[in-house]
Amino acid sequence: MAAITGIGVVSPHGDSHEAMFAALMRGESAIHKFTSDLPNAKPAAVASAAFEASEWFTPLQLAGVDRVSQFAVAAAARAMIDAGAAGMYEPARIGIYVGCGMGGGSSLEAGYTSGLRSGRVPPLTIPAFMPNAPASHIAMRLKATGPVLTYSVACASSAVALGEAAKAIRCGEVDMAIAGGSEALLVPGVVKAWQAMQTLSVFEPGRAASSCRPFAADRSGFALGEGAAFVVLESPERARARGARRYAELTGWGLSCDATHLTKPDAGGQQAAIRNALAVAGLEARDIGYCNAHGTATRIGDVVESEALNGAWGADIDRLRVSSTKSMHGHLLGAAGALEAVITVLALEKRQLPPNACCETPEPACRLNLVRETGAAAPDLNAAISSSFAFGGTNAVLVFQRA
Amino acid sequence: MSSLKQLQDLIQEKYKIDPATLDPNASMLEQGVDSLALAEFLFDIEDHFGIEFPDARADINSLAGLAQVIDEIKASKAA
Repeated sequence: MAAITGIGVVSPHGDSHEAMFAALMRGESAIHKFTSDLPNAKPAAVASAAFEASEWFTPLQLAGVDRVSQFAVAAAARAMIDAGAAGMYEPARIGIYVGCGMGGGSSLEAGYTSGLRSGRVPPLTIPAFMPNAPASHIAMRLKATGPVLTYSVACASSAVALGEAAKAIRCGEVDMAIAGGSEALLVPGVVKAWQAMQTLSVFEPGRAASSCRPFAADRSGFALGEGAAFVVLESPERARARGARRYAELTGWGLSCDATHLTKPDAGGQQAAIRNALAVAGLEARDIGYCNAHGTATRIGDVVESEALNGAWGADIDRLRVSSTKSMHGHLLGAAGALEAVITVLALEKRQLPPNACCETPEPACRLNLVRETGAAAPDLNAAISSSFAFGGTNAVLVFQRA
Repeated sequence: MSSLKQLQDLIQEKYKIDPATLDPNASMLEQGVDSLALAEFLFDIEDHFGIEFPDARADINSLAGLAQVIDEIKASKAA
């Protein structure tokens, strides 16, 4: 297990994880309209992150640093500041574990656009878009010289990163891990590609904020989000010894692959990841009080996830409160697992459950005890899970317990 | 406007570096400009002047040296 001693975010709900959680508890959606000037562009609903790069980089330092790496540096540095852990460990004993689905999408798109227009591609296109750039920029900023790794597992990327970091802490490979994810794909070509796949929510003028409706009868897909979330992990003993604040402990991690279809989810595979995570934590399903669901609000995805949870919880399913906060912050893809892990950790710490927003009429086929109210208190909450299910079939589930 | 002055304006505009703090005759790399930033700056220079740097001159990294190369290219174009 690993103690979570620091949190940092760049989120659609702002730069403070406390303010973000408070906004989520009030049920506030950060989703809004996105338009582009591409031919035949249709508006989409997205959740963007307000970000001021100059707070973290000089203009000279920004050369070849994509927005995805800027987010990563800011969120990871915030987590380190929050942990008060600077200088506590040897650089070689610090590891960086980053989930990122697609790397620097805006740099790649700008490079191709420039190449098509003028035949000239900016010379830093490659270092800017390579998916492991965010991890490397964090390592340089925080002077971490241990394992610096990137996990690109689509929507499970950063949940996998947190799990792998916790393993490295447990086996003593590193003394401190900075783990999380970053994604910044709100660029015209990428949005259009997601629209082409028919997975994004239907855009309705004036209703952008409520366009992502997980587990609702009238759901129509997800809204793309951008941002980064990082946590600092240490062994509970070390964290206690240095008197660090412990938000919660990451006690279980479970991985599985459906091995059935590239994009179609599979309840059996998801259930296997849940069971694996519970087994590592040494818990039974009924010990878990809250699930921050993957809940992408696609027609098929939510029903399959409900089936997986019902399979794992059986008769105890009503004891499990469930919400998909993607209804408010959108789908951060490679950063989703980390952001939702942070929300789960804060839910445990505060014993409050963020709502499954925008769900006026629940989908009858999803038999789940959804958190439909805002400001829900959970005085007995001791353990929670966060689920992330990826295109490619990889499923990642994390178990957190109160410190 | 001389090529050197244009380069100084360009570097001020793009990187907010006061030209007075950058010795035009010394290597920019040795004055704290990262090699990646320099590669990006050379690309911007090509855009700005509408020229292409010959690979043989890729080792030049002082502002005065770059200005001289630019002037040579412009002169050969004009000839």
